[in-house]
Amino acid sequence: MVDIAPLTLAATDLAAIAEPIGRYGVCLSPAPPCNRYSLRAKDRALLETLAGTALPQRIGDTHNGYACLGPDEWYALLPEGITLPQTEGQPVSIVDVSARAVGLLVEGDGAADLIATGCPLDIARMAPGRATRTHYESVEIQLWCLEETRFHLEVWRSFAPWLGQALLANLPD
Amino acid sequence: MLLIHCPWCEDLRPETEFAYGGQAHIARPHDPSQYSDEEWERFLYIRANDRGRHHERWRHAHGCGRFFNAVRDTVTDKFETTYKAGEAAR
Amino acid sequence: MSGYRLATGGRIDRTRPLTFTFDGRLYRGLAGDSLASALVASGVTLFGRSFKYHRPRGLLATGVEEPNALVEIDRGPGRVTPNLKAPSLALYEGMVAQSQNRFPSLAFDLGAINNRLGVFFPAGFYNKTFMWPRSAWEKLYEPVIRRLAGLGHSPTTRDPDTYASTYAHCETLVIGGGPAGIESALAAAATGERVILIDEQEELGGGALGEPTRWAWLADATARLGAHPNVRVLPRTTAYGAYHQNFVAAAERLTDHLRPDRASGHREKLWRIRTRDLVLAQGAIERPLVFDGNDIPGVMLSSAARTLALHYGVAIGRAVAVMAVHDSGWHDALAIAAAGVRVRAIVDLRTAIDPALIEAARAAGIECLPGHAVTGVSGRSAVNAIRVAPGGTGPARHLPCDALLMAGGWTPTLHLWSHAKGAMRWDDASGTYLPIPGTDPVRCVGACAGEWDFGSGMSVAALPSLKPAHRQKAFVDFQNDVKASDIALAVQEGFRSIEHIKRYTTTGMATDQGKTSNMNGVRLAAQALGRPIADMGLTTFRPPYTPQTFGALVGVHKDALFQPLRKTAIDAWAEAEGAVFENVAQWRRARYFPHASEDMHAAVDRECRSVRQSVGLFDASTLGKIEVVGPDAAEFLDRMYTNPWKSLVPGRCRYGLLLREDGFILDDGVAARLAPDRFHVTTTTGGAARVLAMMEDYLQTEWSDLDCWLTSTTEQWAVIAVQGPRARDVIALLVEGIDLVPEAFPHMAVRDGRICGVPTRLFRVSFTGELGFEINVPADHGRAVWEAVHAAGQPHGIVPYGTEAMHVLRAEKGYIIVGQDTDGTVTPDDAGMAWAIGRKKPDFVGKRSLARPDLARDRRRQLVGLLTADPATVLEEGAQIVADPGQSIPMKMIGHVTSAYHSAALGRSIALALLEDGRARVGQSVHVPMPHGNVTALVSSPVFHDPSGARLDG
Repeated sequence: MVDIAPLTLAATDLAAIAEPIGRYGVCLSPAPPCNRYSLRAKDRALLETLAGTALPQRIGDTHNGYACLGPDEWYALLPEGITLPQTEGQPVSIVDVSARAVGLLVEGDGAADLIATGCPLDIARMAPGRATRTHYESVEIQLWCLEETRFHLEVWRSFAPWLGQALLANLPD
Repeated sequence: MLLIHCPWCEDLRPETEFAYGGQAHIARPHDPSQYSDEEWERFLYIRANDRGRHHERWRHAHGCGRFFNAVRDTVTDKFETTYKAGEAAR
Repeated sequence: MSGYRLATGGRIDRTRPLTFTFDGRLYRGLAGDSLASALVASGVTLFGRSFKYHRPRGLLATGVEEPNALVEIDRGPGRVTPNLKAPSLALYEGMVAQSQNRFPSLAFDLGAINNRLGVFFPAGFYNKTFMWPRSAWEKLYEPVIRRLAGLGHSPTTRDPDTYASTYAHCETLVIGGGPAGIESALAAAATGERVILIDEQEELGGGALGEPTRWAWLADATARLGAHPNVRVLPRTTAYGAYHQNFVAAAERLTDHLRPDRASGHREKLWRIRTRDLVLAQGAIERPLVFDGNDIPGVMLSSAARTLALHYGVAIGRAVAVMAVHDSGWHDALAIAAAGVRVRAIVDLRTAIDPALIEAARAAGIECLPGHAVTGVSGRSAVNAIRVAPGGTGPARHLPCDALLMAGGWTPTLHLWSHAKGAMRWDDASGTYLPIPGTDPVRCVGACAGEWDFGSGMSVAALPSLKPAHRQKAFVDFQNDVKASDIALAVQEGFRSIEHIKRYTTTGMATDQGKTSNMNGVRLAAQALGRPIADMGLTTFRPPYTPQTFGALVGVHKDALFQPLRKTAIDAWAEAEGAVFENVAQWRRARYFPHASEDMHAAVDRECRSVRQSVGLFDASTLGKIEVVGPDAAEFLDRMYTNPWKSLVPGRCRYGLLLREDGFILDDGVAARLAPDRFHVTTTTGGAARVLAMMEDYLQTEWSDLDCWLTSTTEQWAVIAVQGPRARDVIALLVEGIDLVPEAFPHMAVRDGRICGVPTRLFRVSFTGELGFEINVPADHGRAVWEAVHAAGQPHGIVPYGTEAMHVLRAEKGYIIVGQDTDGTVTPDDAGMAWAIGRKKPDFVGKRSLARPDLARDRRRQLVGLLTADPATVLEEGAQIVADPGQSIPMKMIGHVTSAYHSAALGRSIALALLEDGRARVGQSVHVPMPHGNVTALVSSPVFHDPSGARLDG
């Protein structure tokens, strides 16, 4: 084995959003690293057993870091260190997608308005605890409403710089 | 931009979250090899292109990801109803 | 016309003078002026030249309906905007405005010769005249017409401004900030629901701005609106389109009203508004009257003169006459007279007029001429007199005046109502189309609904006259120079539908979309056709209501944000190494890595040689990846791909070919079976989303009984391809937990393990024909692992290679690239890949189509190699192939070149081609006719390098 320096997350491609930016009542910052999983099953109970937690039942609801995105689809945002098992032989699909996306926190009184610059949903009417897949202009995102003034945006990593810059570009100068 | 009722999300959502999927209720035959060339051509290419009430497929691509069917008036663009894939035509 | 500033009145600030230039001349105005009001106050009469005849034109209106007074505003480099309407521009200190459509100057315009030749420019003139000879179009007619006919200049420099956009949601959206709109907004605001009020002017008020008695109410109502936290008021905002289900697009102008040196921030903001209830309070537009000389500067709408006097404190002239067929003209005349403007006479075609109006006019010293019509106007660049005759046909009388106001009645502004598919009906009483309330939550209020309080009038097409119509310069559409006689001519030539008459005469097709001309056009057409106007219908209104800037529509999507540019985790390393990039789908990919003085050819040759002789490093992260998981995963892939998957054992990979249901190749890629119920499927870079969507479609709608699921993992994994005879030696230093010896890890195998301490899915695959590995690591670690591999490869002379070398290397092996060597009409057999079809499978997507007669026939185009007679000649991709270059043109084409490169390994050019009956032609010569001469090539196998595949094992 050659000697290799410890590996860290390459943040260069996220430079545009790496620093928290607080302006006009909005703070934009990278979400802390987390483990992400896509969970699929026709039988929710089976997934609950495997994940060791109750899963939200209604599309758009969240519970304990799990969002129900579709009738047979859940998405987990778990603190680093918490992992889910890779199953075999069961009628479920659990796929580790931790590196697929990055998270962006949008916080402050102007948070909903800033997201609304490119997202067609009526975000002011989104209840805390709800989450959905949607889009910001041409980029697909997941929008998690944590509080009325606090949102978590999930975006595939290669789209993150564009998303961050487009949000900034839509802020008043 | 239309608003479309997703029967899975039970929510009215903006058209830009959806992808259009062509005419609905054209089932792929269980055994295509039993189809004559003419029957297969009909399955592949021939569509109704109705004026008025039209059954069509949509997918909530940037939402729950599910396919569903809709009845839409091709003159007014208005949706009459939407229902889950697999349910009987309305 | 000799306009001047009235001593009192108006909403201008007389303590704040402003200076500005118009066509280079310095003028003075006041804060609160529009460009038009300031110019009129300065005595300017000539605002522009008309489009076709270059006739001198003055101000017609004081709103966005203005057809004549179009100007270009210069706000500095890259900030020149053409075709703005002088009455809609708020004046600011230092404004630089230019008139348009004149050469060399507004007062002396060479193009005006068209005016003298007007008789030769009837409706359809261009269609009829400039047809022959065809070649003259490009060389003569078009350039000349373009120079003469332009409306302003397109900007040629980059727009330095930025633009923003947003979505917004409300329960009530009110468009139009006049009294009706304000009242509607206040009523909605009282419910506590969200209300947005949009108005296109500088301040709210609409028609009330020209009625000083309502200013106190206006101030109070505006304050009450401002007190509602649930109300958002957007002034300087044009709602330009109404779309399905109460979706409205509006552009807010944020800086154009400010001095350029004091403006900062976004220039405009696009509002995309979804509302439950839509209230249209856009008011009404006054109609001009059609008579000889109605376009001479100084002839303007009566309501415009009122606005100038009462809103801006500007008198339109010193001796004003009014030509009315509607009571509103009388009201306007009385109002401006009270404001201090001398009104000489009111001419009205009607004989029965409210006696109270006549009495009031006489009391104001105004001569009243009921039952009369204006039959002519004297003056060139300004009115100096009019001719007035009883009934238009009696003995004419000369009446000196310097302005003539037209009061032809009112047309509700139903553009957005029409966008929203609202129905309309003809109303005889008001002489216009009115909205029919429908079931949708859209309604018109106020003048927009035909509810106005300024009396009634008669409905008239053109004023009566003894002068033959074809000798009158009686304009219907001022901006497009369409005369009443043009509409009569169109009808005479057989046009019946108003839509056809519109297109033939171009009435209503200018930048003002016929805001002042449509109703008169319909009326004249109905008269010429002898049909009731109610049967004519209206032409369709389409967005935008007024022209909008591209910037507003584009928003942030320009320059670097034009569209997302996707970069891999390794991209920054490539950039630091000086890579030259190319875009593939939305991805940016390193194309080659030139050393100091190398050109692309030299760099690619070097990169290819390194891979063939030692080892190269390639960023394959952009490949689409789909994780297919579940008990039925193999069954599902069996049905999707041509290849058999159930027989593939875990730990092994297989090349997969995906067809569309019509039998043609859609995509390809290697898939690995990680476990009995888990596959790692790869797709082409450009096909990732398409393939996933197609798989979801089949899985959800055809085979929903299968227990398997699809997850995109494209961005989860960084993929580092290490290719070349030394590839194993390089990675052996870094990999843990995987036995790399060929017996344990053969070609087309996959293993889980660790590399540089991070988990990896290691594939032994090759797209170069050499021993190769593709290291998949979580994207977070992609850059570090790449650098570690690069460092470990130094003793072997490892080089990074780009997509160009990748293309050459794969072409040397005859490996296709879907979308380059296939085009949506290529079957597996055409591509020489019949081997990829699982013959024993009962069905897969596209299988049935492969038996269709045309797909199964002989002599289809097949993938072959081409070797040019001159090894230095690299064929053009896309070039057509013929069998006999001596045949006459058009030649029979028997195929085309799909890929062509210089091959370092072969020391010559190579090409792939789709050639009719190609495999039977191997060994024969074909020809590629090119502009500089014929290229002869020998048909060969598409596999140029290492046909036995021996090198795959290093």
